Amino acid sequence: MSGTGPREAIFPTRMALTNTKLRLKGAQTGHSLLAKKRDALTTRFRSILKKVDEAKRKMGRVMQLASFSLAEVTYATGDISYQVQESVKTASFKVKAKQDNVSGVLLPAFEVDRDPSGSDFNLTGLGRGGQQIQKSKEVYAKAVETLVELASLQTAFTILDEVIKATNRRVNAIEHVVIPKLENTIKYVMSELDEMDREEFFR
Amino acid sequence: MEALFFNVSSGFLEGVVRGYKAGILTQAQYANLTQCDTLEDFRMQLSSTDYGNFLANEPLPISTSTIAEKATQVLVDQFNYIRSNAVEPLSKFLDYMTYAYMIDNVILLITGTLHERDTHELLERCHPLGVFDTMPALCVATNVEELYQSVLVETPLAPYFRDCVSAQDLDDLNIEIIRNTLYKAYLEDFYNFCTTLGEPTAEIMHRILSFEADRRTINITINSFDTELSKEQRAKLFPTVGRLFPAGNNALARADEIDQVRAVCDAIPEYRAFFAEGSAAGEDGNQAGAASSLESRFFATEVHLNKLAFLQQFQFGVFYSYVKLKEQEIRSLTWIAECIAQDAKDRIHDFVPIF
Amino acid sequence: MTTPSAKDRVLIAAIGDEDTITGLLLAGIGNIDNKQKKNFLVVDSKTQVSTIEAAFQDFTERKDIAILLINQHLAEKIRPTVDRYEQAFPALLEIPSKDHPYDPSKDSILKRVQKLFGDT
Repeated sequence: MSGTGPREAIFPTRMALTNTKLRLKGAQTGHSLLAKKRDALTTRFRSILKKVDEAKRKMGRVMQLASFSLAEVTYATGDISYQVQESVKTASFKVKAKQDNVSGVLLPAFEVDRDPSGSDFNLTGLGRGGQQIQKSKEVYAKAVETLVELASLQTAFTILDEVIKATNRRVNAIEHVVIPKLENTIKYVMSELDEMDREEFFR
Repeated sequence: MEALFFNVSSGFLEGVVRGYKAGILTQAQYANLTQCDTLEDFRMQLSSTDYGNFLANEPLPISTSTIAEKATQVLVDQFNYIRSNAVEPLSKFLDYMTYAYMIDNVILLITGTLHERDTHELLERCHPLGVFDTMPALCVATNVEELYQSVLVETPLAPYFRDCVSAQDLDDLNIEIIRNTLYKAYLEDFYNFCTTLGEPTAEIMHRILSFEADRRTINITINSFDTELSKEQRAKLFPTVGRLFPAGNNALARADEIDQVRAVCDAIPEYRAFFAEGSAAGEDGNQAGAASSLESRFFATEVHLNKLAFLQQFQFGVFYSYVKLKEQEIRSLTWIAECIAQDAKDRIHDFVPIF
Repeated sequence: MTTPSAKDRVLIAAIGDEDTITGLLLAGIGNIDNKQKKNFLVVDSKTQVSTIEAAFQDFTERKDIAILLINQHLAEKIRPTVDRYEQAFPALLEIPSKDHPYDPSKDSILKRVQKLFGDT
């Protein structure tokens, strides 16, 4: 039997040959489309990767600055942690998720949604150190903004990673399984048809 | 207080305190401490000072909060030794000193009760100088009303509470306003008490307490810009002692921006310098920066005043000053430790040295 | 994808030591809902690892949290759980704390970044 490897179980007819050829064509188009998508995603992925790396390092510095400003507060006011923990009511620092479309993949991006009227801690340290607390509050708010930025990068990273893996699987499946199979089928049908032709000739 | 009889009851303790004072870290020791690269070194350097081996049994790595805690413990032990040896009226004077910390502790407990926390956990967080025997009794209270009653019954703070806040207020007012109201009452009371002690204690203590009062007034003013604290409320928080009182206080109560505060302080020569550099950076964005250096100038002035207290003999001011100086020292130590831990060597010299 | 639920996720949750949490709360991330449930956990030396673990699970399962911040040295304590966590929501971020400067080589995400850079 001609055509080694797996093939589809069909009757070798001219009709089947046309169909299979069409399907091969389809598979090839699909393959090139998916490959393009994969490339687009990978480009995006790489740029994000670089940004994640940078942002993580930046975060290290920003957070250090922030905790230092808290040290200044402790110097001026003493321990305020308990008061702060207890005066928490509702978040004034929230995030909003919006979406970004990269070749059909929805990437979430977080946006800082800060309620400037949030004055929960305005009176903390009234007697002394209030200025430091306000300053530290600002520094921390900035730090959290960096964190939010990083978080959206990172989520994009995780999702893209997932999607790229899936796309890769599909590309590879088409390239290494579907297309060879269809080619084999075509070869098989062709050879069977040739065989039939020759049989016809002898008669 | 006559010099003749002072030594009969308090001479020994004054000697002890002056001895303690000699153990306060010097410039050279600070210089050594700021050279340290790790907290390990820091501990080594400290062990050659009067602190001795106070950190010896701490597991590594040492955190800055442990250092602060242990250093405070040293101070508390010294204070308790003096307190247990003191007789009237020094003992009363020392009790007055602890009231300031008690206010903080009681406020902490109130915060806990308001949020229905288990207040027993809070006892650990209280400042050790402000601990009083009946404090655990306050933890029994489950609601604000009960707590208010037990504060009145159990604590020496009762007069301040009775005069300034009602049980209703505890629920309604911001906790910081309550704290500052109490503190104001306390400062005024302490001030009057010092007057009864006569010269020279009164003179020395009035100087220190006046500054403390003025500092609070200025701070409250600056910190209440752009907050929901109304001007009438603000005026109520100002202690009615101090050199700014009454004209300065009235002006500050109406102040809207830092320039007005500066104008008020210009009236008093000693305070003029607080804003000297601040005026150069007086633009809006730098307001916080100007105010934070203001804070450190306040600390420096406080240290200066407290040091002056040691120049007079036969008075109680030394006890107060010693505790304040020691507190400043602990703050400085924590600051240095913090700078070492966070690798911020450029800011390490921002503490206030004492000698 | 998690499109509909992503809109409801507005909060930032945090697990950290006292200083970190204080700072983050100052920035205004703190939230206590009407069931008295907090979106932050303070960890001190006495806190059990199981408590951290439970809080981690809880925060990752809540539907209103967009970002979960955790101190790196605490993440280290529950490393297997953290490394196993692969959901996109809430986004997990390891942040440095005061006493423990940031170490990029321990970050679970950064480890993946490094790996990807290494073999692609």
